[in-house]
Amino acid sequence: MSHTYQVGTPLEEVAVKEVSFEIKNQSFTAIVGHTGSGKSTLLQHLNGLLKPTSGYLTINGHKITPETKNKELGDLRQEVGFVFQFPEAQLFEETVLKDIAFAPKNFGKSEAEALEIAREKAKLVKLPEAVLERSPFELSGGQMRRVAIAGILAMSPKILVLDEPTAGLDPVGRFEMMELFKQLHQKEGLTIILVTHQMNDVANYADHVLVMEEGQLIADTTSKELFSDPSWLKAHHLSLPQTTDFAYQLQQRGISFETLPLTEHELARFLAPKLNQRGKIDG
Amino acid sequence: MGKLLLGRYLQGNSFVHRLDPRAKMILCFYFVLIVFLCNNWQTYLLLSATTLLCAVLSKIKLSYFIKGVMPLIWLILFTVLLQVFFTRGGTVYWQFGPLTLTQFGLLNGVFVFCRFVLIIFMSTLLTLTTPPLAIADATESLMAPLKKIKVPVHEISLMLSIALRFVPTLMDETTKIMNAQRSRGVDFSEGSLVKRIKAVIPLLIPLFVSALTRAEDLATAMEARGYRGGEGRTKYRRQIWQLKDTVSLVFFGLVTVGLIFLRN
Amino acid sequence: MNSIIEIKDLSFSYDHEEPKKVLDQVNLTIDQGQWVALIGHNGSGKSTLAKLIDGLLTPTTGTITVAGQTLSEETVWEIRDHIGMVFQNPDNQFIGADVAGDVAFGLENRGVPYEEMHLRVKEALKAVNMEKFAAHEPVRLSGGQKQRVAIAGVLALRPQIVIFDESTSMLDPKGRQEIVALMRRLNKEEGFTVISITHDIDEASLADRIIVLDDGKVIADDAPAKIFSRGNELFKIGLDVPYPERLKHELAHLGVQVPKKYLTEKEMVDWLCQYVLKK
Repeated sequence: MSHTYQVGTPLEEVAVKEVSFEIKNQSFTAIVGHTGSGKSTLLQHLNGLLKPTSGYLTINGHKITPETKNKELGDLRQEVGFVFQFPEAQLFEETVLKDIAFAPKNFGKSEAEALEIAREKAKLVKLPEAVLERSPFELSGGQMRRVAIAGILAMSPKILVLDEPTAGLDPVGRFEMMELFKQLHQKEGLTIILVTHQMNDVANYADHVLVMEEGQLIADTTSKELFSDPSWLKAHHLSLPQTTDFAYQLQQRGISFETLPLTEHELARFLAPKLNQRGKIDG
Repeated sequence: MGKLLLGRYLQGNSFVHRLDPRAKMILCFYFVLIVFLCNNWQTYLLLSATTLLCAVLSKIKLSYFIKGVMPLIWLILFTVLLQVFFTRGGTVYWQFGPLTLTQFGLLNGVFVFCRFVLIIFMSTLLTLTTPPLAIADATESLMAPLKKIKVPVHEISLMLSIALRFVPTLMDETTKIMNAQRSRGVDFSEGSLVKRIKAVIPLLIPLFVSALTRAEDLATAMEARGYRGGEGRTKYRRQIWQLKDTVSLVFFGLVTVGLIFLRN
Repeated sequence: MNSIIEIKDLSFSYDHEEPKKVLDQVNLTIDQGQWVALIGHNGSGKSTLAKLIDGLLTPTTGTITVAGQTLSEETVWEIRDHIGMVFQNPDNQFIGADVAGDVAFGLENRGVPYEEMHLRVKEALKAVNMEKFAAHEPVRLSGGQKQRVAIAGVLALRPQIVIFDESTSMLDPKGRQEIVALMRRLNKEEGFTVISITHDIDEASLADRIIVLDDGKVIADDAPAKIFSRGNELFKIGLDVPYPERLKHELAHLGVQVPKKYLTEKEMVDWLCQYVLKK
């Protein structure tokens, strides 16, 4: 599929150019690339906010072509939960619970059913019981974001699209947020599509990676594969996860790896036997 | 949004671009006034020629001016039709109930149409050749005498320029929030009027919240950079009145003399 | 070295009724030319402290002295001449209609004459490498570029102290690198006293000194190496830990004896190679 903005005007701009890929059910896919690489445009096709200007895409059985009408999209918006960057900006209701219940009500659930769902999803994102009846605007930034995410989960989507979901959070907030998505992926069986600049998160959580550059898809691979080639990444101005970067430095000094590790846990498991052996010899 | 040309500046370096914004604003308002002096085809011809001359001097394609007229075309046509069918006098060409088509009616219709087009052309010329900020600055400068009667001229102008500066930012924000709420099942384009009005609430509240946060941040940033009101401030942009500004004023004066001469 | 900022028994709360203070009995001295990183989780009081130093908030109790002057209603405008602040959101601090107009804003406020103002705007834009963008409107700039403009706006005023209040947190990696490089240059080459409030541990590690705030109290104040050797203790209060410390933590879990001292990445590589490669 391709997407061109303002076709036929002097401002015409190709944002996504003849991209083809497949995302498997219940996978955890990361999309990486620089600002302006076309990631955001691509993302907005996933729940029909944008339609391709040529080509097509099929999401959970819904085919979207340039001719598709909004009405034909049916339940697509409900099946694909879209968490925008800084999603707390979408909060507007009087109470946290009502805000979470907003989407299910729009999709035809009764008030009582929607509130029931809201309660359940608030628990899923680990919001304390005490905040549910409070105004969302009284909460901390991290909690507001959880409310927004619960508001998306309330549609019971099969696919969760996350656009830089940890931006602006502090380190522990970031970690907890990513752990939440991991749990949603593993326990709730959601397919996750994550757009991020954080290579550590790609290494720690994603199994499938798509790399965008100037509107084109330049890699469609696993994270292991992607990070095994530091020079390719460097050529495309992408950074390595910290562990891979560190292991790469070790490799240059003569410690050989079969494949470069992605997480510090993995690296430690590799190094520990070698270091403990030293302990025995020294001892 | 692209259709509304009013307030869209086109970069350039023509004679009109380089005129002092104050001169342009004075002339634009003055022109609107003298258009009402026209009462026959000679006078309209004179002002059309003047407008055309200005347009040529701006080196902007005529199509931009026509685009400026388009958003208002229905209003214009409606007014023209009222004039055509309800003005009496001269030869009667056609009659049906209260509607009459007369010589004067037709003539008046044509005149009203010309009046609209001339005014829109001239104000489009002002906004196409003058950056919004320069208009805000010129407003401050032209309103300066009002300071004497305690009108907060500086504050008004600053508010105007900050508002202009944040238009694109808030438009961006609106698109983002609309997308987010559409993703939560809001339909902004369909349904009954009541339903559509209801759909606006989830858009407006977040927009207000965000605008307030921005305003607070902006106020802090302004204070941190030493803003303490208009007193003792100097200006980065200086508007310099040049010979060509005076010449333009004199030229419009001559046009007025011609206009009075040609009037019935 | 001369101290440029002295903070004595500073406490602050937004609401006098509220017993919990945003800042609680803070005492600090910052030397001229120092680069200080202020770290702490969201809500720990970092940004409040920065705003207090610039007189944007008024202390509940305690005193702040900047460049020898005690902050009060009378001295606040003079003190602000010594301090430049760069905030978090690039959009919400862009006041002018275009780049040059924004850089000029602070100069206009201080009544700087026309010719000198144009000169200083030009100089400041050159210093942040944005002179080509002088006539650009903010919509046509990236986040990193907007922050560079904000820095130019500060430099044009020739302050002694520049406070970066989470100025890199909303930027992409490229924008972040640019701003951190600028910070380094301002401090190391041009002698500005720099206070950077940040979550980015790599940014903090460049500082001469790190101050850790937790729930309004200074809980640590030392050189980066000393702070980082506290390792997991930092993570517990919501902060990141430099990579070598994280790896050491994992290794210790697997029964490896690791050095207590903080090691930089290079030192850690050396240490590992020394033992792994030795047969």
